[in-house]
This record gives sequence, structure tokens and C-alpha cells, in this order.
Amino acid sequence: MKVLESAPDRYDAGIRILTFGRLDKSYDRLASHIKSGHKALDIGCGTGALTLRAAQKGANVKGIDVNLRMLEIAQKRAHEMHVTQNVEFCEMGVAELDAEESENYDIVMSGLCFSELTGYEVIYTLNEIKRILKPGGILLIADEVRPGRLSKRMFNRLIWLPLGIITYILTQTVTHAVENLPEMTEKAGFLIESVRLNRMGNFIELIGTKPGE
Amino acid sequence: MNRFNYVAVNIIETLLRVIPIPCKVGMLTIGRPDRGSPVFLTCNYHLTVRRVKRALKGIDCYLLVANSNGHNVWCGATGGHFTNHDVISVLRTTGIERLVDHRKVILPQLAATGIEAEHIRKRTGWKVIWGPVYAKDIQAFVENTFQKTVKMRGVTFPLASRIEMAIMWAFPFSIIASLITICVWPEVLLPLNGFIWALPFLIFVFFPLYVRRLNPKKKGVGFSRYTVVFDFGRTPLILWGLSMSFLLGFSAITNSFTWPLILRWGFIFLVIILIVSLDLMGSTPIYKSGLHGDRFLKIVLDERKCRAAGFCEQVCPRNCYEVGGSRHIATMPGAEKCVQCGACIVQCPFDALYFIGPDGEILPPATVRRFKLNLLGKRLKAAEKNAGLSL
Repeated sequence: MKVLESAPDRYDAGIRILTFGRLDKSYDRLASHIKSGHKALDIGCGTGALTLRAAQKGANVKGIDVNLRMLEIAQKRAHEMHVTQNVEFCEMGVAELDAEESENYDIVMSGLCFSELTGYEVIYTLNEIKRILKPGGILLIADEVRPGRLSKRMFNRLIWLPLGIITYILTQTVTHAVENLPEMTEKAGFLIESVRLNRMGNFIELIGTKPGE
Repeated sequence: MNRFNYVAVNIIETLLRVIPIPCKVGMLTIGRPDRGSPVFLTCNYHLTVRRVKRALKGIDCYLLVANSNGHNVWCGATGGHFTNHDVISVLRTTGIERLVDHRKVILPQLAATGIEAEHIRKRTGWKVIWGPVYAKDIQAFVENTFQKTVKMRGVTFPLASRIEMAIMWAFPFSIIASLITICVWPEVLLPLNGFIWALPFLIFVFFPLYVRRLNPKKKGVGFSRYTVVFDFGRTPLILWGLSMSFLLGFSAITNSFTWPLILRWGFIFLVIILIVSLDLMGSTPIYKSGLHGDRFLKIVLDERKCRAAGFCEQVCPRNCYEVGGSRHIATMPGAEKCVQCGACIVQCPFDALYFIGPDGEILPPATVRRFKLNLLGKRLKAAEKNAGLSL
């Protein structure tokens, strides 16, 4: 009832422990698609993990998140890394993406954000991303997904429970592994370039493109 | 069967009241709504949604369930779990905009501490109408052409809610104490549990008898600030010290001193002191929690800015305000009832209201809107270091 403390200060450490460090590698792999001069949008940027990687590559990045405290940390980190001139952080939810111009971005990326969205939001967001990407623009997603194979799903459930509790204690958010993310992305009109699942089948790196004219 | 299910859900979730329980976010159709039907919105605390659905029976309408991470409306909105983004998201993504022709959404009044009506209107075009505090008043609210009576605006603490609070505290206490007792002293399991259930009931049922003696302005928060749910007064701690010395003295005199005895009785005394020290004021809707430094804040009205728009009167859960009168501004005849929820400050379109702290520090509307209230009193801290923010 009164345990209302939101916990951005602990978020980074919490997530790193829970993902056994695989997250950094994933983000590095995704960031390798970003080139200098690209215009990029990071949806659910949190403390700026993907945003700052893109900024270091020389892209112009806008990071959006609903959590102001996280954005403050991201801004501080941008300052420390001397990339403030090509990043912009904005308190904005996915439902406010309609404020973005159409065909405005070369890259739209999102790390561990879709798993915090509701079903309606996932579909809405994918459609909005499609609209704001330039033709041929790239979509990069790293996120938790529901494994396809039943055995893996059961195993996943088993280890999720304690991890879920720890995540909740550390960050006070619960994630809902996304179901059928590649299918939904395709349905929104993207071409899937590559899908990389980890061995457990519960973490995805997805690269899609918006078809050119 | 449905009724049985409803009762079961109410019982189970009252026992687990301290834990946020989320349910599915999205849109529900009640009855046979058409393009002119009212649109209601609430949080995704499972028990709330069940109760609101029941209260809406017989009204053809849409019910939007916004993501509050399973927190109830008041705690969620005040603590930053139920935000503008969550409201904008359900309005945009559920497709409600294609189903109705109007753009009016009815929100529970207690959400006014965290959801900014003006912001929602600017970003989505939807006009927020502040509904009643309690779902049970929705039918009367609709019949009264969506106007609230004074009664519909105020929070109350009747016997039923007090019993809910007693259960909310007793259940987790009895679980934890039972687990420990089974290991160290199984014989006292039943009497101890009897005690753990009886004490909160006594405290809350007889609340009206001693409510006058509660002092929300008692000085200092002390280490209670870090104890999450316990508001330690000096008296219970002195009592605990006395009972422990009595225990030691007694065992020394009767020559029965053994460590297990001391530890066991010490544990029992501790449980009792903890129950007595529960954050009683924070468990009521009519006082600010004894754990929050915010309870020393005072609302100030800048009369030059006030245009008597009346939003403060609409959202104040303690009916502190009166708007209009001969001078055509807001006044606060009920200021002493204020629970520092901040709803009036958040909603005032002219920024005519703000908080002032015990040492004269000012919390302007922008700070109140931006820094949600939470356990560690970050809002007050934010006011102190407000100057150096970059975002």
C-alpha cells in the first residue's frame, strides 16, 4: 500500500544482475547497425543504455521514456560521456508517438520496453514505428519473449518465479515476456532481417526493416 | 456462482490488501453502449476493477482499465504508478476513439493527485470529468447528470473500511509470526494468532473513540521514516523496554532465567509492540501517514492568481474548499482537515495553490506535479535541490 518508492537508482544494477550480463552484449550487437549521421529514436530508453551507444557512434538520438527519474540518470550519463550535443531525452510514452513526424527516422530501437507494455500498446507502437521510420529504415529490438517450445516454456516459468520476485523487489516493475513478437512485427508491415534467440529461447534480438518504395 | 466468485475475490484480496494485484489493461464493454455512452476509466488493481464493474451494472458504458501496476487509484496516482502516460495510453491504444463520438472521460476523483486533466486534454483532446470518490456513488452520479454532491467528494472511514484495514494488517502479520512461532515455540501458535487478529480489530473498530486524541502534527518522523509500515511512537518503545526489564527481573527473582525463555517472550512482546506501532494514521484516508514529513506541509492560496475555477473544490477529498462567495475566489474553511494529497495544487489551471513547508520552504505546483509522493519523502528533498535540474 505505501510501498510506493519507484527505484530508478537501482534499476541498472538490478537489470544487469538479472540478465547475467547478456544485455550489454545484445545492445552492442544491435548498436553495430547504427552509423554516424543516422537519426535514431530509442523507445523506452530508461537510463540510456541504447541511446548512449548510438550517440557514441555519432548518430543523432532521441530517447523517450515515461520515467522522469530514469531520464535524469540518462541525461547525467550523457553528460559524463560528452555526447550531450547529439542526444535529446524526452518524457513521453509510446501512446504519444503520434507527435512524431512521419518518415523521420533511420533507426528506431527499443531495449526491454515491449515487455513492459500492454498488448494494445505493443500493436499500437509497432504501427507507429512503421509510420515514423523512413522507407528502408531499421527497427532494432532486444527483449524478453515467451519461448516457443513447451519444454522451454515450462523451464522458463520455473526459473522466472524467483527472478520475477527479485526484479520486483529491485525495480518494482514486472515484465511480461512478449508473445509472438516476430509475427506481430511482420504483421505491422516490417520485413524481418534477422532474429536471434538465446539458448533459453526467452530473449530475442530482432532486426527488421521498413520496406522501401 | 458469480456472486460467490465476487465474494471470494473480495475476501482473498482483502487478506492480501498490502500487495498490489494487477489485472488486464484495456477496454471493457458494460451493457450495450452506443456512440454517446459514457466512458469511465480506472486503475488496474484487480479488486478495484471488480468493484467498479459491479457498480456500473445497468449503465450502458465503456470502462477503460489503465495500467497502474496493480496499485489502487489513490496510492497509484499519488505514488507515481498511475500517471498521465497510462491514461493517455488507454485512450489512444484501445480504440475507444473510434467507438464514441464525444471526448469526455470520467476518472475517479482520487486519481487527481497524479493525473493532470489539463495535460490529458492538451495531448489527446479528451476532457477529464472527476467522478465520485467511491464506486458505490457512480449510479447516483450518473442520475445526477454527472454532477457530484458534496458527499460524493469526501473520503470516509466507516466501520466496513476499518475492518478491511484491520484484516489487511492482521493477515500478513499472522502469517509471518506463525512461520517463526512454529519453529521456535509451537505451543503458543494459537493464542498468539488470536492476539494478532484481535489487536488490529480493537484498534480499528474503536477508532472513533480515540480519534480526537490522534495528533497528526506530532513533531519529527525520526527513524520511523525508514520502517516502511511502522510509525514508532515513544510510548510503545518505552513499554517494550519496561516489559523486557520486567521479564528479566521476574526471571532473575524466580531463578528461572534461561535464554530460550527470554528470547521467546521477547519475540511475543516485539510482535505486540509492532502491531501497536502500525502506521495507524496512514491506514486511514482522513489523515496523512505518520511516516511522511509531508504532513507538515500547508496549502497556500495565491489570491491574485485565483479565478474561482473550482477545480480544487471538485478534487479535494476532504472538502476543504469553498469557491465563489462575494469575493469570487476559493477559500479554505476546512483547511485543518487537509491530508496534503496535493490534488488541488496539481489540478489548478492558474497555479494559484502551492505547498509551504514547516521551515518556510516553498513547493511550487511544478514540483508537486513532477515529484510524486513516496516513502522516502523525495518530494520534500526535491524542493530543496530544485534549483539544479537540467531536464
